[in-house]
Amino acid sequence: MIGSLVGLAILLPIITGLICLLIQNHKARSAVVYLTAVVLIVTSIFLLRQESFPIEYSAPARWEWVILIANYAILAFFIFAAVKDIVQRGVSRHNVLTIALTLAAGIPLAVFEFSKAPVTPMAIDPTIYIDRLSVIMCLIISIIGSLICVYAIRYMRDHEDHRMHLGELKETTQPRFFFFMLIFLGAMNGLVFSNNLLWLAFFWEVTTLACWGLIRHDEAPQHIDNAFRALWMCLIGAVGFGLAIVFLWDSPLNTISLAEVVSNGALASPFLLLPFALLCLAGFTKAAQLPFQSWLLGAMVAPTPVSALLHSSTMVNAGVYLVLRIAPGFQGTHLSTLIAIYGGAVFLATAIMAISQSEGKKVLAYSTIGNLGLIILCAGINTPLAIAVGIMLLIFHAISKGLLFLCAGAIEHHIWSRNIEDMEGIARKLPLLTGITVAAMLSMLVAPFGVLITKWGAMEAATTIGVWSTLVLVLLMLGSGATTVFWAKWIGRFLCQSPVPGRAKREPLIPLYHGILLVLIAFAVIFSILIAPVYNGVVAPSLVEAGYDASLAFTTGAWFLESPIGIFAAWPIFIIITLALLIPALTTRAKPEASRSSYMCGENVEVGVDEFVAVADERTELKTGGFYIENTLGEGNLNRFVVPTGIVLLVILFVLAVI
Amino acid sequence: MSTGWLIGSAVIAVIVAPLIGGLLRGIDRKLTAHMQGRIGPPIIQPFYDVIKLFGKKPMVAGGAQIAFAYAFLALIVTAVVFFALRQDLLVVLFILFFGSLCLPIGALSVKSPYSQFGGHRELLQFLAYEPILLLAAIPIALKSGGFPIANIFEYGQPLLPDLWITFIALLIALAIVMRKSPFDISGSEHAHQELVRGVITEYSGPYLALIELGHWYEMVLLLSILGLFWVVGGLWWLSIIIALASWFIMLFVDNINARLTWSWMLKFAWGAGVVLVALNILFINLGWM
Repeated sequence: MIGSLVGLAILLPIITGLICLLIQNHKARSAVVYLTAVVLIVTSIFLLRQESFPIEYSAPARWEWVILIANYAILAFFIFAAVKDIVQRGVSRHNVLTIALTLAAGIPLAVFEFSKAPVTPMAIDPTIYIDRLSVIMCLIISIIGSLICVYAIRYMRDHEDHRMHLGELKETTQPRFFFFMLIFLGAMNGLVFSNNLLWLAFFWEVTTLACWGLIRHDEAPQHIDNAFRALWMCLIGAVGFGLAIVFLWDSPLNTISLAEVVSNGALASPFLLLPFALLCLAGFTKAAQLPFQSWLLGAMVAPTPVSALLHSSTMVNAGVYLVLRIAPGFQGTHLSTLIAIYGGAVFLATAIMAISQSEGKKVLAYSTIGNLGLIILCAGINTPLAIAVGIMLLIFHAISKGLLFLCAGAIEHHIWSRNIEDMEGIARKLPLLTGITVAAMLSMLVAPFGVLITKWGAMEAATTIGVWSTLVLVLLMLGSGATTVFWAKWIGRFLCQSPVPGRAKREPLIPLYHGILLVLIAFAVIFSILIAPVYNGVVAPSLVEAGYDASLAFTTGAWFLESPIGIFAAWPIFIIITLALLIPALTTRAKPEASRSSYMCGENVEVGVDEFVAVADERTELKTGGFYIENTLGEGNLNRFVVPTGIVLLVILFVLAVI
Repeated sequence: MSTGWLIGSAVIAVIVAPLIGGLLRGIDRKLTAHMQGRIGPPIIQPFYDVIKLFGKKPMVAGGAQIAFAYAFLALIVTAVVFFALRQDLLVVLFILFFGSLCLPIGALSVKSPYSQFGGHRELLQFLAYEPILLLAAIPIALKSGGFPIANIFEYGQPLLPDLWITFIALLIALAIVMRKSPFDISGSEHAHQELVRGVITEYSGPYLALIELGHWYEMVLLLSILGLFWVVGGLWWLSIIIALASWFIMLFVDNINARLTWSWMLKFAWGAGVVLVALNILFINLGWM
């Protein structure tokens, strides 16, 4: 039973992905995607309903060879792709670094597998180790990831129609697109199930490969450059991964079993600090933390479902998953404290940088990096409460951010722009879509939604860690303020409009857009209301399995969530706020005759016309815009401080790990 | 504290808070007038104003504007209720922030240059005071043993002697929230400025009355948070004195200052306010306070 579930979760998407590669027919390919989505969702729910955890499973020995060969095949492919790029487009920083770092990542791996390991391929027992944390990840990957793939069916059709219309595209490239999307899901499932670090490293490479393939999908020069940037930055993490394997094998522990490594704390075995720091580095590159954030921002050029997938259910989540997974190992060390500070710094820096962005998807990207920073901060605080909060934020962020990207994609396909300024007043044209988007933004921002509850939890958890909590809290609170600003001003742009008589008419429904958006916003609301059962059902057991005392995290009642030092009355707050917002929103309707044009010092033309009388009695159009404070908070200005800060913090991290 | 008593105090808070808030506004105007050598309106003038505004014909200049005026009031009243129920201080602040955010979002949902300016600047005010208020909850929790406001009442000692640094920072935050000079960036009571009425330019009649009421609640809530710094047994009245004294200081500073730029406000709020609270947290963590 368990073998087949694991097989379905990992292999099915990879196989159906390969099938997609061969199918040119749109309908048949869509059917394959639908089928994969349904099977994956059902599989993940079956996995959740297993009786006892953790589940240990050893794959048949032949798979060890498959993994070994495939791993080097992927590395060889990276070199091939980079060389091909040099031949076609000449030498650039990106393709040269790709070759260098692929070699650097391959060497430690080869040294281990062919010289240090007693047998090749090195198998350990169990290969697969599934606890509640893996199951949570699998649910996120399989449910949200699958929904995004289904959404992509419609999105890619519109996307290619538009590009063919512009003359950029001759024939469909969707087979390749869905190939990468689906193997991404399979590789992620493999990544969160693996216990053998060699397997983990292999799936890690597959996600890097899929990410590269999806970013360069539209094949413009900028897309290819950004894809290679993502590739080499993630390969830095792969180098760390390879070195970590070598060091772990050379250490007194003499193992490459992740579960065994984590159960031996670095507090008792200080030689583990360096491998943990290297694994964290791998996690940070994947999660696009400073100073590696530029690959994720560059990835925005890809079609929007790709961004949704990268940001919510795959890729970046692999990074924070790894950090959360090994967190029990570095509990109580200085490394842990520094990781908390690092996460806080990322959270603050990205929140401020998001203010100056006028491209919607970039704002979302910065928000993702910031929230991942917050999860890493929680992993660094490393108390039961903090880890519970980190896992919950992972869940809620995945839902809301996946939703927001899909909203951004649907809006883009109505207005054919990604610029926030072009979204002024679209609440009028696209009321339902805008309504969902604003609700999704509020779900990232205000009580009583899950993301805010986790932010509250993070603040309470950060209070309890002694002297360094001062710095962590300052970073957290300042970042929290800046977060509010960039969301609120974007919401403001959506709603900005002059009164027009009559009710706004809903835009025509597109099932694959609106349907999936509604499902996800329902998830965001329902899981926020059911936060206590969600905590009791999956989060608390995963804490216990990781060796934390769950009674020190949250205690729950029917209507509240209690931390050791605070209480969140979830249900009363939800009910009161819902009433406070819904009653006026549903009952108050301005009468058409109450409409007035805005105040223009008495120089308006007439009601309902956005014009005013300017010099020489000439009618001039009224224009408004958002503010971005680019002179002070622009990317160029801030990166001068932010990137060095990230590098310095990482250097300190390694200094702490070595001494 | 029994549940019945708590619910009773919440009901009383909802009824009494606007009365106190309106009265304070009236005294504010009277004192300001005296400081400027005028006689000023009667002390209960704010009540006359609000009642009259409710009777005016509703006028709307933009889509979601009205909903946000209602939400502003409703959420701040919710925050007052949760405060009176002695809930988690951070949670009270989060609800208050949601309410406060409705004001700029409402302003931004009108296509009006003045309102847009005001709305954006109000977000900067928010950016300035939010971190101070959130951070201020930390030393309170560290001292009283937890974030629930009930803990402060059970703590048995006044907070002010250990937390006077935080208290000073809160005064700065209070002035920014109430948009008092030199922090009246997003809309000023004083005339002669480029913003007209900033963030509330496009609100009139009953909707302006809702916002005015919301402000009264907001002011009373913030003064109550300052009052928390001295809530012990026999000297409970000191908390009222402290709250009123803070309010008077704010009023006085308002009258001797001119408005400054938003970038100065942000630097001052983060450089002075946030740093002060951070120092207080640090001192407590080091065991010096």
